[in-house]
Amino acid sequence: MGELRVEQLSKAFPTAQKWGRSKWHTIFNNLQFSIKSGEFVCVIGPSGCGKSTLLSIAAGLEEASSGSVYVNDSPVRGPGLDRGVVFQEFALFPWLTVRGNIAFGLKSKGVPQAEVLARADKYVDLVGLSKFADYYPSRLSGGMRQRVGLGRALAIEPSVLLMDEPFGALDALTRENMQLVLSDIWQETRKTVLFITHDIDEAVFLSDRVLVLNETPSRIVCELKIDLPRARDRSDPQFQRLVKQLDSAIRGDNNTTKHFGDN
Amino acid sequence: MKSEKTLTGQLLSNPVPVDSSTVLLSAGSLRHFGEFMVPIAVLLALWELVARFGGLPPSLFPPLEDIFRALLKMSGDGHLAADLAGTFTRLFQSIAIGAVFGTIVGTCMGHFRMWERALVVPMNFLLAIPGTALFPLTMIWFGLTEAAIISILIYEVALTVTVMTWTGVKSIDNSLIRAGRVFGANGLSMLWRVLIPAAMPSIISGYRIAFSRAWRILIIAEMLVSVSAGLGYRLYFAREYFQYDMVYAGLFVVGMSGLLIERVILRTMESMTVNRWGTVRELK
Repeated sequence: MGELRVEQLSKAFPTAQKWGRSKWHTIFNNLQFSIKSGEFVCVIGPSGCGKSTLLSIAAGLEEASSGSVYVNDSPVRGPGLDRGVVFQEFALFPWLTVRGNIAFGLKSKGVPQAEVLARADKYVDLVGLSKFADYYPSRLSGGMRQRVGLGRALAIEPSVLLMDEPFGALDALTRENMQLVLSDIWQETRKTVLFITHDIDEAVFLSDRVLVLNETPSRIVCELKIDLPRARDRSDPQFQRLVKQLDSAIRGDNNTTKHFGDN
Repeated sequence: MKSEKTLTGQLLSNPVPVDSSTVLLSAGSLRHFGEFMVPIAVLLALWELVARFGGLPPSLFPPLEDIFRALLKMSGDGHLAADLAGTFTRLFQSIAIGAVFGTIVGTCMGHFRMWERALVVPMNFLLAIPGTALFPLTMIWFGLTEAAIISILIYEVALTVTVMTWTGVKSIDNSLIRAGRVFGANGLSMLWRVLIPAAMPSIISGYRIAFSRAWRILIIAEMLVSVSAGLGYRLYFAREYFQYDMVYAGLFVVGMSGLLIERVILRTMESMTVNRWGTVRELK
């Protein structure tokens, strides 16, 4: 199990260069929050608010301008097998089968060859693809591809699961289906999850807690605990109320902002 | 398994199992065979017509029968086998060395900025020098020997494969590289676990171009350098002795050999990799 802590995290990009001097665009400033072990936290926000950048930094794929992300109290310095990442664009290796993709991280981990197969198969099974273990990704539908993505991230048995709008590229029906799959798997494995999305409905459906990023530079304008029992019912008035609350926080036209505000 | 029940609701885009057996000759069915035999038959018929009734001297434009007879004679006295062996040995030796070198250097150039910065200028300089233009140089160095030929072939193959691999690796989707890094590929393992397979369509295109360039240069080189056996040598030798039917037979063998290389080696390589993975589009 693992805990993730974001401390005083800032990120700025150089933008247009003029006379050799680059201007800086601050994405977010002094971001601060933590995710408890076994907690499922969604970060939502409008496009461009830096939520994917936040995840890239946590994954070690990008560097922060200042501040750090800690996983189990050790600071993130580059990518590592203590974090499993699920990408929006799936990013499966097309030259490997479903099983091969899921085994990829295990091989990097130095798991002995005989054990790699058994463990890969366990996760092929967990994401419901046992019949398709020998298929190449090009033969799979979008939903199935992302199951592979999920299996690949889970197979390395990471402390933290980082998911970057994983269902954003799927159609509405498949997306709901995948949310169910993830919800089931999460209840089974109880991973610590940082989940990025722009879909409020998805955030309320999946998470224990939702953080809303907004304004420029971004900050956490709203933090909401979701206490509804799982599996959640979208037509439940409670569910609807939470969705509405988050919706107005994202649009930035509310007074809940101050009520739930932090920083 | 809880998630199993949701799978049944999912639509499969293409529920075909992938373990299609490896095809050596991609033209498997009879219809395909006909499709590429018809043009050949037409061509042969035309040839025969011109040779018989075109009024040209048969030594310049021999009928198929004479060419075929020359072919039989060449294979009967063992020359053909020796020529093929000589040419193919030279070809494969240089391809093997050049392709390995080019794939590795090209991949590094496509991935590490240092390599790219250091090598782009020399590479473009060398690209302007055709392999054939190096003959005077290699002849001085190695004399009229095998080495004079093979060194030029290696040069040409390595350069071609490097360029194609370099551009191929540079155009790899960044998300694959990010995924590779996240799941523990770094340094050398990034090279062989992610970059090379991801760039495989370009790399194979590189091999294809390299093969055809090497082949062309090799045939010419065998005419220039007095090796004892080789298809190019045979062509030159036949002309010297006014055996025109043998010139034609030799050209036929050269063409057929090139075709076989493409069909057997390159196509097999493709059907075992990029076609099987679905990373190149297959035409319907």
